[in-house]
Amino acid sequence: MKLVWVHLKAELLALFRVPGFLIPTLVFPSMFFLIFAVPYLKTWPAANQTTASFMTFAVFTVVFFQFGVGLAQERENPWTTFLRALPLSPYVRPAALVLAGLLFALLAAAVVAGVAALSTPLRPEKASPLAFLAALVLGAVPMGLLGVALAFLLSPRAALPVANLVYLPLSFLGGLWMPPEALPGWARTLSLYTPTRQWAELVWASASARPWPGGAVLALLAHSLGFALLAAWAWRRGR
Amino acid sequence: MNRVAEVQGIQKAYGKTQALAGVSLAVEAGEVLALLGPNGAGKTTLVGILTGLLAPDAGRARLFGRDPRDWRARLGLGLTPQETGFPPTLRVAEVAALVAAHYPAPEDPSILLARFGLEGLARRLAARLSGGERRRLAVALAFLGRPRLAVLDEPTTGLDVESRRGLWKTIRAYREEGGSVLLTTHYLEEAEALAERVAILHKGRLLAVGTVDEIRARVGLKRVAFEAEKVPELPGVARREREGARVVLYTPDADRLVRALVEAGVPFSGLEVAPVRLEEAFLLLTEEAQ
Repeated sequence: MKLVWVHLKAELLALFRVPGFLIPTLVFPSMFFLIFAVPYLKTWPAANQTTASFMTFAVFTVVFFQFGVGLAQERENPWTTFLRALPLSPYVRPAALVLAGLLFALLAAAVVAGVAALSTPLRPEKASPLAFLAALVLGAVPMGLLGVALAFLLSPRAALPVANLVYLPLSFLGGLWMPPEALPGWARTLSLYTPTRQWAELVWASASARPWPGGAVLALLAHSLGFALLAAWAWRRGR
Repeated sequence: MNRVAEVQGIQKAYGKTQALAGVSLAVEAGEVLALLGPNGAGKTTLVGILTGLLAPDAGRARLFGRDPRDWRARLGLGLTPQETGFPPTLRVAEVAALVAAHYPAPEDPSILLARFGLEGLARRLAARLSGGERRRLAVALAFLGRPRLAVLDEPTTGLDVESRRGLWKTIRAYREEGGSVLLTTHYLEEAEALAERVAILHKGRLLAVGTVDEIRARVGLKRVAFEAEKVPELPGVARREREGARVVLYTPDADRLVRALVEAGVPFSGLEVAPVRLEEAFLLLTEEAQ
């Protein structure tokens, strides 16, 4: 446990000491939100749902790139090789990386919430905060696993462009930028099959204190299992 | 004898390249064992297997009686990898504290850093150190956890003469306190200066293991060198070389060779007879294997 904290601290220092990485990552989803969403949010239900969408988008961005691209780059690094030879259980570093990613992702989501509180008729008291937080974290699991799978499947150079090719359509189709009703017809159909849409369904439900739709929970668990198997297969292949 | 680390019948291949083809070797408690070999001999692969970074395809590795991939086996291990890299965001003191946190009774990082000439650099970002400083930090980290075995993969590569001598002193002091060292090196004088035993690795196989004297005896040759224009056929020459004006002959019987040289009436000067140095023994052994 002490070692998880030691490694978590090192990871957080790594994130916070590079403002060129920290600030764009934290600001990017909020900027998107301000430009494309805020002008259209006139009522509290719309504000709650769309803020929830962009908070999900913020978490997605951090989790996916931290694990996808970050892990791919870390793999070939002599420092991580050295760390693996230290006397530490094989669970310590993954646990620290997950915690660091999650903290950072929630921070990015909090920035969106802050912007929304100032610029939209948001009614946070109409949401159920614990369920909302749980929905954000639960959906982050399959997306993080997908990032891990990509990291092990791809060479470090290919990781960033391919990650973008996956990330942008998933955000769009999942309804994280605009509600699914506003998507073009073909996209509305595809949307139902994306893990991001299932994730958003949970987050939207909690944003207006509705219960979670069971189908979305099942779909997220199924995606988690699938991406975990893909990641495990890619990891073994690389050894 | 008490073995701190050993491998038995280790094989490891990368695709079609056989990096290690059945290697058995042990590091005894309190000794410095030097692992010598040209690039690509398999030294770093062997180090990777002994430190739990790599899994062997066949054979058995033991570190303090456990599988090196079991993290508890590595509580008594300190490592300096061949490649030095530090995260761009951590300071020297933070790197040292991070590493120290993994050991039950580590050295005081600031005292250790000072011993490696890194005092005053604690607040510097580790990745911003000069090449030599980075290397010294990498070596210092191997000793930070007061290990029973230090595995140093080419520790002095890139160090200036002064730092290299300093490191040699540290290694000797560490051994006198009962520590064991597995050292890989290209510098043969380093093996001669530090090691009780030498193991020669070539193309994934051990060619010879023994004391420096035993390796010399194994080759069993004397080196006879002199300056001469032309040299006739002489008896018992295992190998001949020319270094400019100097002729170098290797022979099992130097007395007989010199007598024959005098009897042949060849004018020569600057005669030198010496036992082979480790460097030559090493070359001869690797050529024998080819």
